[in-house]
Amino acid sequence: MDTSGIKPLGMEKFWLGVLLAPTIIGLIFGAFGSVLATLLISFTNWDFLRPPVWTGLANYIALFKDEKLLTPLVNTLKFTALYVPGVVAISLAVAILLNRKIRGVGMFRTAYYLPVVTSAVAAALVWQMIYGRDAGLLNFIIEKLGFAPVCWFCEKNALISVVIVNIWGAIGEGMIIFLAGLQSIPRDYYEAATVDGADAGQLFRRITLPLITPSIFFMTLITTINSFQAYEYIYMLTRRGQGDSSVPVVVFSIYRNAFNFHRMGQASAMAIELAVIVAALMLLYFWLERRYVVYE
Amino acid sequence: MKKRIFTFLSIFIIATFLLAGCASQPTQAPAAPAVPVATAQPTAVQPVDITFMAWGAPEELAVWQKLADDFHAINPNITVKMDVSDWDSYWTKLDTLFAGGTPPDVFAMDAPMYKDWQSKGVLLNLQPYIDKTPGFLDGLYPEPLKGYKMEDGYYGLPRDFQTIVMFYNKDMFDKAGVPYPKQGYTWNDLREMAKKLTIVNSEGKVDQYGFSCDLWDMEICWSEAIWSNGGDVISSDYIKTMVGEPKAREAWQMFHDMIFVDKSMPDTVAAQELGSDLFQAGKVALWPMGHWAIPGYSTVNFQWDVAPMPTGAAAQVTSVNSAGFVAAKDSKHPDAAWEFIKYALSEKGQTRLTEMGLAIPMQKSVAESPAFLNQKPGGRTINQQLFLDSVVFSHMKPIFKGYSLWADAVGNTVAPIWSGEAELNATLDKAVQAADAVLAEQK
Repeated sequence: MDTSGIKPLGMEKFWLGVLLAPTIIGLIFGAFGSVLATLLISFTNWDFLRPPVWTGLANYIALFKDEKLLTPLVNTLKFTALYVPGVVAISLAVAILLNRKIRGVGMFRTAYYLPVVTSAVAAALVWQMIYGRDAGLLNFIIEKLGFAPVCWFCEKNALISVVIVNIWGAIGEGMIIFLAGLQSIPRDYYEAATVDGADAGQLFRRITLPLITPSIFFMTLITTINSFQAYEYIYMLTRRGQGDSSVPVVVFSIYRNAFNFHRMGQASAMAIELAVIVAALMLLYFWLERRYVVYE
Repeated sequence: MKKRIFTFLSIFIIATFLLAGCASQPTQAPAAPAVPVATAQPTAVQPVDITFMAWGAPEELAVWQKLADDFHAINPNITVKMDVSDWDSYWTKLDTLFAGGTPPDVFAMDAPMYKDWQSKGVLLNLQPYIDKTPGFLDGLYPEPLKGYKMEDGYYGLPRDFQTIVMFYNKDMFDKAGVPYPKQGYTWNDLREMAKKLTIVNSEGKVDQYGFSCDLWDMEICWSEAIWSNGGDVISSDYIKTMVGEPKAREAWQMFHDMIFVDKSMPDTVAAQELGSDLFQAGKVALWPMGHWAIPGYSTVNFQWDVAPMPTGAAAQVTSVNSAGFVAAKDSKHPDAAWEFIKYALSEKGQTRLTEMGLAIPMQKSVAESPAFLNQKPGGRTINQQLFLDSVVFSHMKPIFKGYSLWADAVGNTVAPIWSGEAELNATLDKAVQAADAVLAEQK
């Protein structure tokens, strides 16, 4: 895997430095600064108003002992476990279906991409009408089919309901990535295999799937990161009195602890907790990449 | 391999940054500077700029700006910079400014949160100024004032307040042939009325509910129901949660039965489906609410009126809550800050603020003047006097340290009762436990 590109020469080196400088400076002071500050604050009790007080690991111990901090973590992990495979599988399926010459394919692609460019707040309001227990569209259909109406946002269903909306909102982006991956597979492979008598299932398993693994890998990475940050739809659909949510996720809890309860230290510890989990997952993904991802 | 490590590192960094960035401010709180004692330096020497921050809608900003202009006309040396943002942004912004060591000189405070801020030692004690202005507090309503008084004086002053009254949709009453609620009616009467005012359609679905109110926060209905039944929400020393005591349980039981037995009140799932304000949407006949809702209700296409809150087994009670002014202890111009607060609470200032039409002015003479009583939003005549009369039987919304966390512990735990997912009594036990744990942490 030789990736050496064109080497910069002479003045190009100078311009390379100049053009990269803003990003690098921003990264050093913005990103590393924030990360370092978050890490430091997480070992303190800080309410914004008085100087921080060093509390050692207390905030981290609370993460596992305090039910109000544990619930968001459990919710986030459940959400990720459903959301990531859902988005990857469905957007791959949609991409495969739309990767052919059918009438109106552009319209379908646009339709699937539309949620990505729709305001989450507006879309969530529409979903609320669909999910409504008493006058919702979904329950209207369910009742017409003769079943009992479902309370979509009651505690046992709420997580699934928000996962569905989040997946719906993410398919468009995944579809674009997979379409690009699919279109880079040379047609001759399929033609050659067909001549050799391969059926559709074999074509998919032996050609499409292996050659699309880099896209799957990339999508899984991005989707995992997104799933740990998912917030808009979840909050809009599950909010209740005074900024509370019936399905609190970690990002929501970070905001609430920091700005509603003035517990910056605790909020920072949760941010670090998330970062560690994401980093651990990334390590796992890269290990899997070495074993399963096929680069041509 | 090298490339892979680099990719990994960059993804890790991006992930960490994205996750951490949303919650942190790298600035550290500065060490508290020496406390400037309120010395009697003359204010009218050098021109000073002070900032005032409040939450509110754009229309409110216009009124605030007029107040600042009026004030500047009288005190040409003091210029007040207005900064008005929506409720959520307001608190975030305030936190950030404090964290950065540049707090606004004067800012708005929600009464229940006052004790949290005061106990952190960041508010200016206004007592020395009040002492220098004899009779200053005399014209103000005493009930909302009580909450701001600490052992060593006032660290803030309410600017206006809210009493909760019962709004009712006259058209719905007329249609059902039910007499309007009148002073002296009870919670039991209300329950009977609500039954008669509930309309179920041929498909078995409810088209119109008799009664509804917000059961998350205490202010609108559940504190009133508990107090009027002879119970309490929290002990007077703020160390014990009382919402699980027998008298309180009776009140909870009443709401529970109205939702699940009478079905004259929507559960929270149904209520959410009908929108954020069921009264404005014309979906409910009886609806307790504060004065702040009136501008919104002045444009509806049905007739409505207000009645006092119902009487319970022990008494007639409504809740009173206020919004106030506080000044930052680290303000560089504490004298100018006080001058502004003083003006805003004067008859002139209060008359100006009353233009917002959202609350009852703190200055009694203004509340009892045409500026408040003759307000006609959207050309409607409103029984403004009733909001004032309710003060007589009002109970202050409690103000104590840890209020936000406590309210979250109670509201969050009892929420599943009102969506029909949790049993009343066991859940109330859990709520008391969670809320008491919060109070224990505050000591």
